[in-house]
Amino acid sequence: MAWEYSEKTKQIFMDAVQGKPGTHLGEIENPDGEGKHGSIVCGDAMKFTFRVTKNDDPLKDVIVDAKYLTFGCTSAIAASEALCCMIEGKGLTPIEALKIQNQDIVDYLDGLPQQKIHCSVMGAEALEAAVVDWATKRGVDLAAQGVTLSGHVPEEDEGRVVCKCFGITEPYLRRKIKELNLRTIEEIISALKAGGMCGACRYAPGGLQDLLNETWGAGEPAPTTLASEPVAETGPSPFQLYRKIEQVIDETVRPVLKGDGGDIELIDIKGWKVYCSLKGACAGCMGAARTLQLIVERSLKDQVDERITVIPV
Amino acid sequence: MTTPTLIYADSNATTRVAPEVVEAMQPYFGKEFFNPSSMYEPALHVAGAVKTSRQTVADFLGGVDPSEIIFTSCATESNNTALFGVAAANPARKHILTSAVEHPAVLEVCREMERRGYEVTQLPVDRQGQIATADFVRALRPDTLLVSLMHANNETGVIWPVGEWARITKETDAGIMFHTDATQTAGKCPLDLTGELAQVDLLSFSGHKMHAPKGVGALFVRRGTPMRPFLLGGHQESGRRGGTENVPYIVGLARACRLSKEHAEDMQRVARLRDGLEKKLVETVSHVEVNGQGVLRTPNTLNLACHFIEGESILYELISRGICASTGSACSSGSLEPSHVLRALGVPFTAMHGSIRLSFSAYTTEEEVRVIADVFPQVVSNLRMMSPYWDQKKNQPREET
Repeated sequence: MAWEYSEKTKQIFMDAVQGKPGTHLGEIENPDGEGKHGSIVCGDAMKFTFRVTKNDDPLKDVIVDAKYLTFGCTSAIAASEALCCMIEGKGLTPIEALKIQNQDIVDYLDGLPQQKIHCSVMGAEALEAAVVDWATKRGVDLAAQGVTLSGHVPEEDEGRVVCKCFGITEPYLRRKIKELNLRTIEEIISALKAGGMCGACRYAPGGLQDLLNETWGAGEPAPTTLASEPVAETGPSPFQLYRKIEQVIDETVRPVLKGDGGDIELIDIKGWKVYCSLKGACAGCMGAARTLQLIVERSLKDQVDERITVIPV
Repeated sequence: MTTPTLIYADSNATTRVAPEVVEAMQPYFGKEFFNPSSMYEPALHVAGAVKTSRQTVADFLGGVDPSEIIFTSCATESNNTALFGVAAANPARKHILTSAVEHPAVLEVCREMERRGYEVTQLPVDRQGQIATADFVRALRPDTLLVSLMHANNETGVIWPVGEWARITKETDAGIMFHTDATQTAGKCPLDLTGELAQVDLLSFSGHKMHAPKGVGALFVRRGTPMRPFLLGGHQESGRRGGTENVPYIVGLARACRLSKEHAEDMQRVARLRDGLEKKLVETVSHVEVNGQGVLRTPNTLNLACHFIEGESILYELISRGICASTGSACSSGSLEPSHVLRALGVPFTAMHGSIRLSFSAYTTEEEVRVIADVFPQVVSNLRMMSPYWDQKKNQPREET
């Protein structure tokens, strides 16, 4: 599917490619801060450089010039350009510039397609790397300034993107699945967000389920089904349970229903699930299903076992 | 042979493409020919047409999310995708629950699954083509992977309460996936996947039974349903079905979905025509049975079993008078057995080979149905005059039969 970019994204891209005055393509020589993010393997990479007016107190350094070199798609280039526009000439210190998050870049571009959000992430990560570089050169302890770094993706995590919505790679997923002992797709979604948006990567070839199987072996976990909720070994046998349920229906439930010209049929019992069907006058009653829930389930819960649920049939 | 104006009464086999659908498709064979995956502006417009069509189909199915629609080449592909795809994503479960009267696009896949080590339960039907819900409940197992039960039968038109069965399935075990082949109801009955069918996980249908062309279908896959792609080889359909989008046909399918809403009143009219025809034929033809009599059916279908005569000869007699219909008789099918649906219904053997299916569409006229009502009894009568099981003198079955 071709991407639907906002007019602003397309315009910024065109201006940048044509090198219009005021755009920021290029590289600053001997920069005060330099950050890279991405790689040619991933399909997009950015080198971000900035210059500051140096103050005696490095914390008062102000960014005056920002440039980028970007290998990537329309939105990667537009995001890079947007980042520079948002930083340059705003009188920001490098630490203030760090407040720019990927969402700010997305907003600046009037939105990005969901699967292109990672382009804005790349901009934010390159900025962070450049600020770290500046801090090192200027002897600033970022942690002491209360800056928490979101942590750029280490090189060992670069590789094939599995979850396109969040730009999460195969090496990263493999590492995290082991580190966090993730056993199911649901656990991956909760822990890493991967697969949580469109869901297309969950069962795709080479997707989350395949990575789980390759990590933990294809020996499938037992299905969480009726079989895994057996009538407890210490509880009644299936035969005893059936007799008790039938007894309650015969002695408690059926007389009530018969009073209204109806009847009840016990269809099946699976584990703690009891399948019943209402007959006669009750079957046509508006509240037939509710009647079952109220009368039958309550009676069975009270007189047989609290774990019983009734499924109207 | 000169055929008079053709009366088409075989709409469960296929339908004519509506003029509105042809018109909607036309630009996408011409100036809008681009690949929707291409990046340039004109292709974006084509991608937009696919997106709009997906939204239309999502609306048609009761307002589901467009991301839950996969475009396919036909209902058979949709069914293959649903069954094989769900099985591949749930390798721990090995039991499939289906019925004896499914379309081959489900039954043959189930047979293949048996060869691969799955266990398949085929629920039986009664004489009117219905499944006892108690049978259905008792057949659900702890290792059940998938339930696949058709919404309406292609031969009899009998509609099943799949919404209710899906609810029972999900209350039993949310891990069991519920699939329904809605090829015979799409365009004829409302399909509400956010209402009556809210517990259905997967739903198949095709375009050519509802006035779109042959060669396009769709599969609804509810968000969160574990399913591996069946057709690999592309990022299309969010990676769930590779292959360049069949844009003109997808646009045509969407137009047909909108058209079916405009046809809703015609369907009520068709139901009245069908009911009138059924009444008239039962009155005027002796020894005839209606398959699916008195139960909920698609509004357009009438399946008759005529004793002591053979369906294929009925068909030829009908076509010589310009009427297109179909039969479940053995001679017509290429195999030597009568339709598996009629056998499952337990149609008496004297009538098994004499079944005729008449199926109408929104374009069927009152006049056409009147002609059928006049012609059909004559055809049956003519053939019985030749039947060795018919006493020609007394005009009744021979006593020994």
